[in-house]
Amino acid sequence: MLTPILLSLTSLLPAQEPGLAGSAAAPVVQPGLLAIKARRVEVGNGETLEHAVILIEGDKIVTIGEDLPIERGIPVLELDDDQVVMPGLVVAYSRLGMSGSGYNDSRPYVLASAELYPANETFKEVLEAGVTTLGLYPAGNGIPGQAVAVQPHGDDAGDMILSDNVYLKAILRPSRTLKRYISDGFKKADEWLEKEKKNREKWEKDQEKAKKKKSSKSKKDDEKKDDEKEEDEKKSSSKSSSKSKKAEYEPIDPDPRAQAFLDLRDGELKALFSISNAASYLHLIDAIDDEEFAWDLRMPLTRTSNFYEVKDEIAETERRVVMEPLLTLHPNTMRQRNLPAEFARAGAKLVLVPRTDSTSSVKSWLRDTGVIIAAGLERKTAVRAMTLEAAELLGLGESHGSLEEGKVANLIILGGDPFEPATEIDAVMLGGEIVSGEVDL
Amino acid sequence: MKVTLNTFRLIGLVAILSWAGAPASFAFAPAQDGDKDEKKKDADADAEAEEEEGPEWFAVSGGDVYTGTGSILRGATVLSKDGVITDIGYDLFVPEDAEVLDATGYRVYPGLIAISSFGLFGGSADLKNTVDPFSNNMTLALAAGITTAVNGSEVAKLKRRAIDDLVMNTSVFTSLSFAKSNPAGKRSLREKLAKAAEYLRKYRQYETDKKSDKTLKEPSKKGIDSTALAVLRHEKRPTFSANDRTDLLEIAHLAQQYGFRPIIRGCREGWTVAGELGRAGASAVITPRDRRPKDERFARDGGSSIENAAILHAAGVQVAVIPGSAGISLGGIVGRDLMHLTIEAGFAVRGGLSEEAAMQAITTVPARILGVDHRVGTLEVGKDADLIVTDGELLHYETFVQWAVVHGDLVYDKEEELYFAHIRPRPEAALAPETKLDAGETEEAPEEVEEGGDEGEGEGSDDGDDGDDGDDGDGGTEEEGSGGGDGEG
Repeated sequence: MLTPILLSLTSLLPAQEPGLAGSAAAPVVQPGLLAIKARRVEVGNGETLEHAVILIEGDKIVTIGEDLPIERGIPVLELDDDQVVMPGLVVAYSRLGMSGSGYNDSRPYVLASAELYPANETFKEVLEAGVTTLGLYPAGNGIPGQAVAVQPHGDDAGDMILSDNVYLKAILRPSRTLKRYISDGFKKADEWLEKEKKNREKWEKDQEKAKKKKSSKSKKDDEKKDDEKEEDEKKSSSKSSSKSKKAEYEPIDPDPRAQAFLDLRDGELKALFSISNAASYLHLIDAIDDEEFAWDLRMPLTRTSNFYEVKDEIAETERRVVMEPLLTLHPNTMRQRNLPAEFARAGAKLVLVPRTDSTSSVKSWLRDTGVIIAAGLERKTAVRAMTLEAAELLGLGESHGSLEEGKVANLIILGGDPFEPATEIDAVMLGGEIVSGEVDL
Repeated sequence: MKVTLNTFRLIGLVAILSWAGAPASFAFAPAQDGDKDEKKKDADADAEAEEEEGPEWFAVSGGDVYTGTGSILRGATVLSKDGVITDIGYDLFVPEDAEVLDATGYRVYPGLIAISSFGLFGGSADLKNTVDPFSNNMTLALAAGITTAVNGSEVAKLKRRAIDDLVMNTSVFTSLSFAKSNPAGKRSLREKLAKAAEYLRKYRQYETDKKSDKTLKEPSKKGIDSTALAVLRHEKRPTFSANDRTDLLEIAHLAQQYGFRPIIRGCREGWTVAGELGRAGASAVITPRDRRPKDERFARDGGSSIENAAILHAAGVQVAVIPGSAGISLGGIVGRDLMHLTIEAGFAVRGGLSEEAAMQAITTVPARILGVDHRVGTLEVGKDADLIVTDGELLHYETFVQWAVVHGDLVYDKEEELYFAHIRPRPEAALAPETKLDAGETEEAPEEVEEGGDEGEGEGSDDGDDGDDGDDGDGGTEEEGSGGGDGEG
């Protein structure tokens, strides 16, 4: 040990301390630093740490590991033996705290972020229930628009928004109209590209014409120096402003309906398709045709969902599947099926969401997930599905969703195992600050 | 009976190659000539393996093939490639990577056609965009042997788990009204037909005249009903709904007058005017179990008759059969819905129709009426591989569809579905040990066995079935019994 670090226990015995090297790091209370010592930590990526220390600076996690020594002077939050730390929950697909209603057609340009109302009490409630990140989508059927990722805390929308345009929500059912919205969207994108190409060609032609004119004019002054030429150009541009303004080509504004689909193609946006049954999936594949872009699936579970029929096809693509923690029945029988577990086992990336868009469902989310864990879902998959995988769906996997070095310090402290029914959330930390519950430092 | 799925795998191929190359010291090594064939096949398979996706082969081997064209090939093999039958017969070369369904001891029939249906596809009109190929009713209809059905105005295949290429024909029926209950409609139809006929006469005249006089103008189509014209040009066959003797007669006369061939739904009293309908070249879609007393105000014959199908058929009318309810109804009295299409046809046999004609009434005749007879209705080379494998006579009340194949894909297996697996389970499935064969192991040998012992085996398994009936009699008779009672009542 070269660095002057000590177990926090030693802080109780300051007399023994000075012997170690590096008096530079004298025991001064370091501002903005906080260490959490926990008997158990669910990291979020599937791992579990025992006797872990999480060092937080500002709103970020600096270090996390097992049995790490803690530098003197850092305030330590020492948890009870039965307390568990896990990443703040991520509800990636929700309308919690949103109240607007949408349309039934294709409006891919609509942004859910425009709908945010930070003062909504729901945000406070879900934060207290452990949710530190929300993916909110715009209301409506068809293609209602693009979702936004927020933290349920902030004075204005700007404070809340973590990332906009996180996914394009689209609803797909076995219906010609809904299938058409997708193909028409890409068709619009094609049309725009075509128009743009023509416009550009026209512009280039115009440029050439202008050049020719100029060159014929300036033939006489061919010998002139470059500088003078430039001056000439400036003059001419000021005269015929309309043409020379286009010296720098400006693409025509894309149709807002086309833009989202152009973004899909460019990989700047991904899609989340909500399908209602196995048949919808086949129709979705039919509607997508040969287009290539990133997309994930939302599969709302009902009592007799038959998504298992297309399980292997979906799992093969390793797409994310967004489901509720819910046991369903095999159609026409009383045989239970655990579709989230089945899909996860088959290789799909499971993202869990609360059973409904209500605070009560959010509050019972961990408990509900416990039920499907008892019925066969792997525990670590469940943790990941509520945290890191959900953050990945929102494109926030690099910064949110798990307790790892460099990530935002969003975490919850629970009174026991997260999936035990009796466990309660003792405290919620958002960006390094305890925003709910009480802890003794 | 075992379904052996010989999907081609490279590992399997390597195994075969090493097996074939090894000295014939294996206890079960095949005969020398078999060995040679194997090598040849391996070479073929090799060539196919190089292509990314070869054709999909499907073979139904060893069953008694009732082709629907009048011939029965006992213990034959039906081979299909990408959903189309390429060969039916004996000693066929079945490619290495073919999916093979061993139907030894079973019967192979063309898939049945429901000339009218609702609720089988889970979707509404525009099946291409709305079909639910996982719907329960589709599975149940396949269990009833139906592989093609009319939904609204579309004819589509019951392709489970897939939504591509299922619609075969659209706007299949051209419905016309010609009934005494609608005199205005009658008059209007007569007028339309007369005008269209007049137009056609003019048009023919124009066609001959224009050779000499090139300035002639084509006669105007103004005021001509396009449907009537299409009917008179034989582009479409009109469909009438008629049960009453008078209506039927008038339709027959109208058809004879204008030279079109009507399709008549219902046709309850058709047996009383069968000769006229036959002369008009009519097709009839009937429900043999239909029951209605005659109108007692008239002395002449009337009402329903169980002999309707037989009499119409004898008079040259093409007879198609459809149950009283063209859906799958899981409530009420069983036996009246599409689940019992074969039972319904069986009642036509009870009324005197030949079994062959009764089978045609649910296969070839509807295919012809729907304009899809070039693809389905019989088992012939070049037609679609839509077939069913049953454990007995098609029209027998005890018979179950064991497997259904649509477009060269196995879409129904009785043992795999919830519905009938428990009733008279396939003995092989219950008793025989797993004899799953790896790729390349279904060589000549098993086929030769089938060929030699097909008849014997067929009878043997029949006996087995009878034995089973005793055990599970309750389940069988309860359901079918009520169907029988229906007919007698």
